[in-house]
Amino acid sequence: MRRYLVRAIAKELRASRALFILAVAGVALGVGSVLSIQILNRSALGAFAGSVRALSGEADLSVLGWAGFLDERLLDEVLSVRGVAAAIPLWRAEAAVDGRTDASLELVGADLLQAAVRAPWRLPEGGLGDALTRRGWVAVTPALAAEMGWRVGDRIPVSLGSRRATLVVGALVDLQRIAPLASRRLAVMDIAQAQALLGERGRIHQLDVRAAEGVSLAELRARLEARLGGRARVLTPEQRTAEAEGLLAAFRLNLTALSLVSLLVGGFLVYASVRASLARRREELGVLRAVGATRAQVLRLVLAEAALLGAAGTAAGIPLGWLAARANVAAVSGTIRNLYLLEGIEAVTLGPGLVLLAVATGVAGAVAGALGPAIDASREDPRALLASITLEERVRARSGRTLAAGLAALAAAAAAHVALRGRWAPSAFVLALGVLVAVPLAAPAAIRLLARAGRPHRLGVAYGVRTLGARLGSSAVAAGALAVAVAMLAGVTVMVGSFRGSVERWLDATLRADVYVSTPSWRRARSDATLAPEVIARLRQAPGLVGLDLLRQVQVQAAGRRISLSGLDGALPGGERRVELLAGDPAAAMAALRGGAALVSEPLARKAGLAPGSRLAVRGPGGETALPVAGVYRDYGTEGGAALVDLSTFARLFGPGAPSNAALYLAPGADAEAEVLRLRAALRDHAVQIRSNRTLRGEVLALFEQTFAVTRLLQAMGLVIAAAGVTLSLLVLARERRGELALYRALGATRPQLFAVFLGRGLGIGLVGLALGAAGGAGLARVLVDVVNPAFFGWSIALHPPWGALGGQALAILAAAAAASLYPALTASRTPAAELSRDAL
Amino acid sequence: MRCSPLAALIAATLAAAPAWRPADPAHRWELPRDHFAHPDHRNEWWYFTGTLAAVDDPARRLGYQLTFFRVGLSPEPPALDSAWAASQAVMGHAAVTDLRSRTHRFSEVLWRASPLLGGFGAPPGPGVAWARAPAGTPGRWTLRLEGGAFHLAMRDDARGIALDLVARPTKPLVLQGPNGYSRKAAQVGYASLYSSYTRLATEGTVTVGSETLRVTGESWMDQEIGSSQLAPSQVGWDWFSLRLADGRDLMLYVLRRADGSVDWRNGTLVARDGAARSLAPQEWSVSALSTWRSPRGVTYPAGWRIDVPGEGLRLVAAPEVASAENRSTLAGGISYWEGPVRLTGADGSAAGEGYVELTGYGEGTRPPL
Repeated sequence: MRRYLVRAIAKELRASRALFILAVAGVALGVGSVLSIQILNRSALGAFAGSVRALSGEADLSVLGWAGFLDERLLDEVLSVRGVAAAIPLWRAEAAVDGRTDASLELVGADLLQAAVRAPWRLPEGGLGDALTRRGWVAVTPALAAEMGWRVGDRIPVSLGSRRATLVVGALVDLQRIAPLASRRLAVMDIAQAQALLGERGRIHQLDVRAAEGVSLAELRARLEARLGGRARVLTPEQRTAEAEGLLAAFRLNLTALSLVSLLVGGFLVYASVRASLARRREELGVLRAVGATRAQVLRLVLAEAALLGAAGTAAGIPLGWLAARANVAAVSGTIRNLYLLEGIEAVTLGPGLVLLAVATGVAGAVAGALGPAIDASREDPRALLASITLEERVRARSGRTLAAGLAALAAAAAAHVALRGRWAPSAFVLALGVLVAVPLAAPAAIRLLARAGRPHRLGVAYGVRTLGARLGSSAVAAGALAVAVAMLAGVTVMVGSFRGSVERWLDATLRADVYVSTPSWRRARSDATLAPEVIARLRQAPGLVGLDLLRQVQVQAAGRRISLSGLDGALPGGERRVELLAGDPAAAMAALRGGAALVSEPLARKAGLAPGSRLAVRGPGGETALPVAGVYRDYGTEGGAALVDLSTFARLFGPGAPSNAALYLAPGADAEAEVLRLRAALRDHAVQIRSNRTLRGEVLALFEQTFAVTRLLQAMGLVIAAAGVTLSLLVLARERRGELALYRALGATRPQLFAVFLGRGLGIGLVGLALGAAGGAGLARVLVDVVNPAFFGWSIALHPPWGALGGQALAILAAAAAASLYPALTASRTPAAELSRDAL
Repeated sequence: MRCSPLAALIAATLAAAPAWRPADPAHRWELPRDHFAHPDHRNEWWYFTGTLAAVDDPARRLGYQLTFFRVGLSPEPPALDSAWAASQAVMGHAAVTDLRSRTHRFSEVLWRASPLLGGFGAPPGPGVAWARAPAGTPGRWTLRLEGGAFHLAMRDDARGIALDLVARPTKPLVLQGPNGYSRKAAQVGYASLYSSYTRLATEGTVTVGSETLRVTGESWMDQEIGSSQLAPSQVGWDWFSLRLADGRDLMLYVLRRADGSVDWRNGTLVARDGAARSLAPQEWSVSALSTWRSPRGVTYPAGWRIDVPGEGLRLVAAPEVASAENRSTLAGGISYWEGPVRLTGADGSAAGEGYVELTGYGEGTRPPL
């Protein structure tokens, strides 16, 4: 039997190469999309964790500020705590490299005199004297130097906030040798130089603590916390990584859910191709059974074939997933850096764990897809197998039951969601999954419905569409797979469109100033990227200025999470228009702001359970302050949550400081673009970004598009898989119905007529897929817009279906279905009349 | 000559620094001005060693060492607006040798001189030098000059030692070498400005482990100022500071080459009244009697025969505790031997006490000077 199996598989491969290739492609695409997302997901925190390891190395604990920065005098207190073997102060900020778009250095100012003794990395021989005394000395990684074309001695112009400085490449230090995933943009300099050239006297960001031998970390941590009395927090490296993981959780889960849909569609494809292969080989299986093969042997034969198919698909899917991940690194990394303010993805790695996952996904998926048809075939009586097409009748009879099962799945998912809502975050995805399961199960019923349409009189496209139901089995699977892909495409398109619509409306409502001023490093460095007083002074001289809005911002621990807290001028005339409240009077909210209250963003309100009247506990350098919440405003910028306070409250919490952003309100009729040019010329010596309202809006939307880049890739993969499914099922039809086709030919049908029939069948599958997909997509869109977004990201978005885009996609799907039918139609039209057999009659 | 096991990493980078002022043979000594730091010279140290006894139990004896080093990082202070901007580093070494339990505990600190971590005072003081205590211990190590007495304090809770002493000179300041210009090699330029108080009446408290003892005894203080002391061919030195029972004091140093041969040596004999006389090399000899191998695998001489025939001195110096090795982890892994010795005369009678310092033994332990 085993020898037969090998030969049977080889024969099968030869006989139906196109079928096999399609099925393999389906598995490959499914595996590829799952794998690419998992690669990105795992790499997402690699740079963060790697950088922690490369810099903090043997540090057992890190002392961090609640608002990101620390008073350097805490060093003495930390050193005083029993059990501390060393404490290394670190100044950290990401500085922009001037003249190189998007280039930046993750600068680390360390006490190099101490670090030379204790850090895991080493300065080159003789480097320390230079490092301390040569102005601007910085050590960069060899990888970055190679990328930027820097050599030792080269000068690098950088900026932090509006302040420029010239650094000098003093040495190449391979931090990635210590932690391969460490950011290549890490750059180390002496803390005195960092503070003086780019930072601020007295301010550091981190104190790395090494415990003395034999000291209990938990006890040391407790002693440090007691000594610091709430002025700073103490975390292990693991806790820091876990915290970053928490920040990214929703983003990562979202991607995983989308990639699983691709796998689902891929699984359909395998199911379809195994069915096709079995339908074609019924007689062969019948003969096998007749000569004594057991059911188990037949089952094993079929499953072994499926496993082989899965293995081949996996082998192709792994490089595909790797390439897809590589292609999307920039977009995902940009999102992580700009929206989550974590280190971006520096390198993608494919570990043995991920390869194992890919193999499991591909092979298990293929075997699972084949299980149903295989059991069916093995259960058949040998006579039934040899006879003919009873299988099809069964599918037809079952179409009602399938539909009922689908509806039951949907109902079960809804029930599960209702039961688990609020207690288990992924419950929203259960609901989405319910929709995606119900959609394909409705396919057989939908195709039967199609068959009830008017009876065409000519052998052509319409005939092909209508007679689709005659071969319900494979066409229903293809239509179902297509419907899932379409549902996903439509649902996500509507969600992205709605999001974009909501963001645009929100920007219209709240982006009211004429000119916006920030700095190249602001997006990443936030409170460390400040505008110099002379920049502010110059802004005040702008002709026609009616209001200057200044903003300070910190990343701070509040309400038990890391949020973005901004201070703005609560007294700015017309300033209430800067925020859009979910409810209540904005002017009253601004008045409350001036009185020391806070406004919280919708995501923060939802995640921390805040509402007007409750209190927001903010941890500042001086301890915890509970601010009354005066209102909840819309925000689509910070998933983790944001809050607004008056600048005076901000200064009370975090001390005096320079603003990081400014917005100019000009008199009506003033030419904003001309003012932008004037200011740029006047502030040439400062590192500032000056944009008009229109430009800023465009940039915000571009950033937004970037976050959905991966989503679009997954959509495209799903659609390609589904199109492959259409081709596959039509090929199956063409093969299964050779006899029928031959009869048509014998009765005088022309080749173009048969071609048209098959084209019609392809279009029919396309139509059914589209119709079901649209219904599913509508449901999915509602789930994504109304349930997933509020539950995961915390913001409510209004439904804005992008009809134009949806219409275009519908046409593209029909075109793809038609294109996918071309090859099978051609094959079918070539069926010679000589193939006429008894079966067809 | 005093030890300075400075961080190899620091000195290696600065060996060629041109702008440091060399030791000046015509230095105009001025007190107490010259007890304070001389930042235009690269290196400087204040070295206290002594033998103490518990006030309540005179049989309970202890040796101690406390040294503050100033290490110039750059002759010009960096023009940087930061508390971390530093042109020098401060290093502290301290050791307490318990002659009863025969244990030796060593502690060290190394910081950049900054308002946060350590620094050096200027006249009128009283602060001469300070350094933040090592990690895990609150407070500072300090050296103050107040009312003509030196106030010393250090503490290291992790190693269980602390010193809080007042040391008052009982003999006048000795300038080692002509006008305090102490040459260290045959070549020109290898020298330091070197002054000593050979006897200081010392009292205060010493903490060893869980015990804090009120103590009294005698110390020796050295201050050296220079920019380049060790010649390229030299690897280290043997140095002796001995307070003789007859009231005289003897300082000897021998600079060694890699093969163990003597490259340069010098000595000073201080009379009871404080009058100092330089000893010519042919006037004295030192020979090791034995060796001791440290846990780090370094072999040091242990026990010496010291003869100054012209002065009628035939002494044997024996280490009180063999294991008085200071192993630095901060200063590039350097280790040196620094411990109290007991002197006996030719007839075996007690002839005084002192300290011996042995540097540059073992691999990679050449003091980077």
